[in-house]
Amino acid sequence: MSLVLHDWELSADAYRARLALGMLDLPYTKVPVDVVPGRETDTPAFRALSPTGAMPVLVEGDLVLSEIGAILIHLAERHDPAGTWLPREPARRARCLDRLLFALGSLRACDAARDAALFETPSRIADPLAEARAALRVLESLLARRALAGEAFLAGEEPTIADLAAFPAAALAVDWGEDLALLPKTRLWTRRVRALPGFTTMPGVPEFL
Amino acid sequence: MTRDLEPAVRDAWHVLCRSADLAPGAATRLRLLSRDVEVARNAAGTVSARLLDGEAVATREAYGHVFACLGTPAAPLFDIAEFAEDDRRLATCGAVRVRASGLRLVENFLDMAHFPFVHTDLLGVEERPEVPRYDIEIRRDVDEVWATNCRFWQPRAAASSAEGQMSEYLYRVAGPFAVMLYKTCPADPSRFDVIGLLIRPAEPDLSYAYAFVLVLDEASSETAIVHFQQTIFLQDRIVLENQRPRLLPLAPNAETPTRADMSSVAYRRWLKEKGVRYGTVEGLAGHGEAEGVP
Ligand SMILES: [Fe+2]
Repeated sequence: MSLVLHDWELSADAYRARLALGMLDLPYTKVPVDVVPGRETDTPAFRALSPTGAMPVLVEGDLVLSEIGAILIHLAERHDPAGTWLPREPARRARCLDRLLFALGSLRACDAARDAALFETPSRIADPLAEARAALRVLESLLARRALAGEAFLAGEEPTIADLAAFPAAALAVDWGEDLALLPKTRLWTRRVRALPGFTTMPGVPEFL
Repeated sequence: MTRDLEPAVRDAWHVLCRSADLAPGAATRLRLLSRDVEVARNAAGTVSARLLDGEAVATREAYGHVFACLGTPAAPLFDIAEFAEDDRRLATCGAVRVRASGLRLVENFLDMAHFPFVHTDLLGVEERPEVPRYDIEIRRDVDEVWATNCRFWQPRAAASSAEGQMSEYLYRVAGPFAVMLYKTCPADPSRFDVIGLLIRPAEPDLSYAYAFVLVLDEASSETAIVHFQQTIFLQDRIVLENQRPRLLPLAPNAETPTRADMSSVAYRRWLKEKGVRYGTVEGLAGHGEAEGVP
């Protein structure tokens, strides 16, 4: 079944999907969506795919997914026979989902701070910058705890979709003027993610973190 | 009140917004040269603008954008002849906010030496970093800076590129905050694509960049063309936001120019001759609100 991603190069969520597709070595077709300046996500045609206007949208046969969390979970469940990106063992799976929801919850403030810095996109978050900085500190402490346990990634020894969901928030911080210098565990971890086979970059991700 | 602005900036045309962002009956408030400007389009489609403290300002609508002049226009809005060629397609990329002087944005746009390192595998490759010698001149008759006979090897010069090409370039600085480049069109090497960067200087160290592309490209979708330019500009933006000072120094030897920086030297000299201070280190005292000088 062929995969189609309705994509915008500059979207952090679209980047999360592209990272997963790349790491899983899945061929896919990109359909560019004119988010800025065209506001194509507000058009009836796009809303037919994505009722809330959220993007990216992943289409696989009859399946149309417009929530990035569902896209990541689906790609891991359907296309990762080894089951490492979303572990099957219940405790490890729960921990992966716990970090995934953090990455797509509090840590999403980084996306809001970035969208505000680039395009002055309004956000539902009152103070995206403060919340983004606070969330990055939580990410740092989560990674520090994993490091104490001798683990390199957010949910354990192996990378999971939680890492892919969290990576853009930290790696694109330079777009909203945030320096990762004071977050050493985060910087080490971004380098490890960068080194994974199938990694793809995007504008804003520093060459050297 | 625009008396404190130097004529070279006050009497020049500056982009305000995209035409498409101003529907009939709509009005929006924007920052230009440290002033609040309200720009509106009436039901008949005509655009007008005024300073928030009252005075009307001159406006023009062209090239898919709305332009304003806060003083008395020193010259008509610069002409981009290629807009008269009807086989071209215009794609406007919208506004990107950059915490840097608009003059820094123009200077970066003129610089070819960064292609292999900032736009790796798109506009340059690290194995071929040389900038061949080119010509630069200040054209007194039109009061513009031109760089001609520029050449650069580009693996992916445009959205429509199927393969690498030796791109020929011609740069044109049409105003302190407006710059265009003409570049070999991958679809028709006998003609040039036009890429423009129009900058709305909101504060001396805060800019909004409006890029447009006027291309001969029947294959790429408009969205693909916009995404290509946005990708390129976001790569530049990181460099721009990390330059210090955020303002452009015009004092001689403030920043050591390299050989490839000939266009930068000419641009700075031209700005200095014209008496441009807004967005410069030297103009800092005159414009109060700037920050970011170390
Ligand atoms: Fe550039």
